[in-house]
Amino acid sequence: MVVSFKRLTCATALAGLALTTMAAAADIKIGIVAPMTGQLASEGQDMENAVKMAIDAVNAKGGVNGDKITTTTADDACDPQQAVTAGSKLVSEGVTAIVGGYCSGAVLPTLKIYGDAGIPFVIIGANSTKLVAANQGNAFLANSTGDMQATTAVELFKKNGFKKIAVVDEGDAYSSDLAKLTAEAFKSAGGEIAAKETTTAGEQDYSAVVTKIKSNGADAVFWTAYHAGGALLTKQLRQAGFQGGIVLGDGNNSPEYLEIAGSAGEGVYLLSPPTVDLLSGAADFKAKYKETYGRDAGAYAALSHDVGDLIADAITRAKSVDQKAIIEALKASDFKGLAGEIKFTDKNTLQTSNFRPVIAKGGKWVAVE
Amino acid sequence: MTLDLLIQQLVNGLIVGSFYALIALGYSMVFGVIKLLNFAHGDIYMNGAFVGLIVFSFVGIWVGNGWLGVVCALLVSMLVVGLLGVVIERFAYRPMRNAPRLSILITALGASMVLNGTALALTGGRHYAFNTDLGFAGVDISTVHITYTQMVLVAASIALMAGMQAFVSRTMYGKAMRAVSIDMGASRLMGIDVDRVIALTFFMGSALAAGGGVMAGAYYGSVHFFMGFIMGLKAFTAAVIGGIGSVPGAMLGGLLLGLLEAFGSSLPFVGSEWRDVFVFGTLILFLVFKPTGLLGRSVVERV
Repeated sequence: MVVSFKRLTCATALAGLALTTMAAAADIKIGIVAPMTGQLASEGQDMENAVKMAIDAVNAKGGVNGDKITTTTADDACDPQQAVTAGSKLVSEGVTAIVGGYCSGAVLPTLKIYGDAGIPFVIIGANSTKLVAANQGNAFLANSTGDMQATTAVELFKKNGFKKIAVVDEGDAYSSDLAKLTAEAFKSAGGEIAAKETTTAGEQDYSAVVTKIKSNGADAVFWTAYHAGGALLTKQLRQAGFQGGIVLGDGNNSPEYLEIAGSAGEGVYLLSPPTVDLLSGAADFKAKYKETYGRDAGAYAALSHDVGDLIADAITRAKSVDQKAIIEALKASDFKGLAGEIKFTDKNTLQTSNFRPVIAKGGKWVAVE
Repeated sequence: MTLDLLIQQLVNGLIVGSFYALIALGYSMVFGVIKLLNFAHGDIYMNGAFVGLIVFSFVGIWVGNGWLGVVCALLVSMLVVGLLGVVIERFAYRPMRNAPRLSILITALGASMVLNGTALALTGGRHYAFNTDLGFAGVDISTVHITYTQMVLVAASIALMAGMQAFVSRTMYGKAMRAVSIDMGASRLMGIDVDRVIALTFFMGSALAAGGGVMAGAYYGSVHFFMGFIMGLKAFTAAVIGGIGSVPGAMLGGLLLGLLEAFGSSLPFVGSEWRDVFVFGTLILFLVFKPTGLLGRSVVERV
């Protein structure tokens, strides 16, 4: 009795061991790095959920090249120091590829860790141009860098037949850069800059600037700074009888803008990152996300889902788990997701800007078809 | 610059200038009486706007979002914030009255931070919409559009300032105020209740700032905790240009500053980003060459 029992345990243990080894050999492990604690924990949770949702769907269809994908999450807390710890953890776990990254500041110091280890890394949210410079060739930016907004702005001006644009910023680095880039891009596209104005942050009266814009005969105004000033400018432009178009940079994506601008905000364009509420094709995804996780999909959920799909797609095309091959496959990506097209330039940034114009209708932002 | 543009900028300058004048008046009155640069004045303006917004949302349930609501908000806010000014004077400035000038100046900075920080803590830095039904209807003179709201606004601030001037120059309390500003010790010996006169000055100055805050909130349609900072700075500049301590000087300085800003934005060769350089450059020139301002009298002891 005793002997047979021992044998039985032994056999079970062996069988179990064999099973785990088999599973380990067949699984592809993807690391997710996102802020799971701290102020941006909610965004991080969204990123993890959405990537997992994409991976689960891939696994349900049989995985990639016959193998299942598993994920492991590391918390960077949007903090540079913790991000380095989280990155080292993922590297030591031997992940095949890494996706994630919300804060540019936290992603930046990890680029070297992943670069030295040669791990393919698709960055979901972080979009500072500093990341482009620090990239060792293994990292890919799935979100448009801030300066690509200028391209989207110029496309929107042309589509609406605006020929003379007034560009207004608030004098800070972000808004004046965007104003400058847009003015240059619009001029080289054959447009005319009617005025380039600067307001003071915190000030309430923009009438002098409004008068200048009107007298210079601008068809449209492009406001590159933030929602508080944007709402005041919109109101005062309409109050002064300005009939042209008003276009706002991504810093105005706030419900407060619509509240303060009120009826003056109607018909105003906003250049928005591909947040899930503004994507026309993301309704099914939104519903399914809510069903699966019991909460609304956050701003970057759609893009995170796309990146989950993209990495599975790249591994499929690489036909192996060799990291060099996956990086080559990512470079050759030609992917169409919920948030738009993902094709990379030779600097591993998006070829086409994923900022998209939305319009204020009935006190809400809606996608422009 | 075409004539239309000139007229439009003139109108713009008058409107923003009348806000500056209202706030500068309170600055100037307080300085005139106790020789204190009340740095909390801009924050009092901000508090006025918030009290006005609260009253406006509350009475809006019965009277709607039109003129009646704005007038209610204006009156209640002026009263409440006027009393707040008295409280600040009583607890922050009165104990310091015989302290060195620098101490009371720092107390004023502290009072400003207390008001600002309280508003930040209570609102979380949110920008609140102050949505009225006043609309954009108005009169068109060639391409210049002047709304009725703008006209009422300028008229109301002129009326407030004229009332203040009449109060200071014609009434017994006004006379007491002028007496205290000339010689506090002698006034006390003449039987003037100096504490009461100073409290009254703070009440009136704060009420004017609150009136300006409510009007600005309703006119621009937004209220936030930081709105008093730039306004305080501009009002100070207006008070200096006009002659700090002088009531008509504050009005003149405010209107002049508004016009300087409007035309400073349309300067030839340079863009509107140079406007503040132009405006505050003017302040420095005044401080260097005519520190008493346009209508001010010289003050022996200054900060």
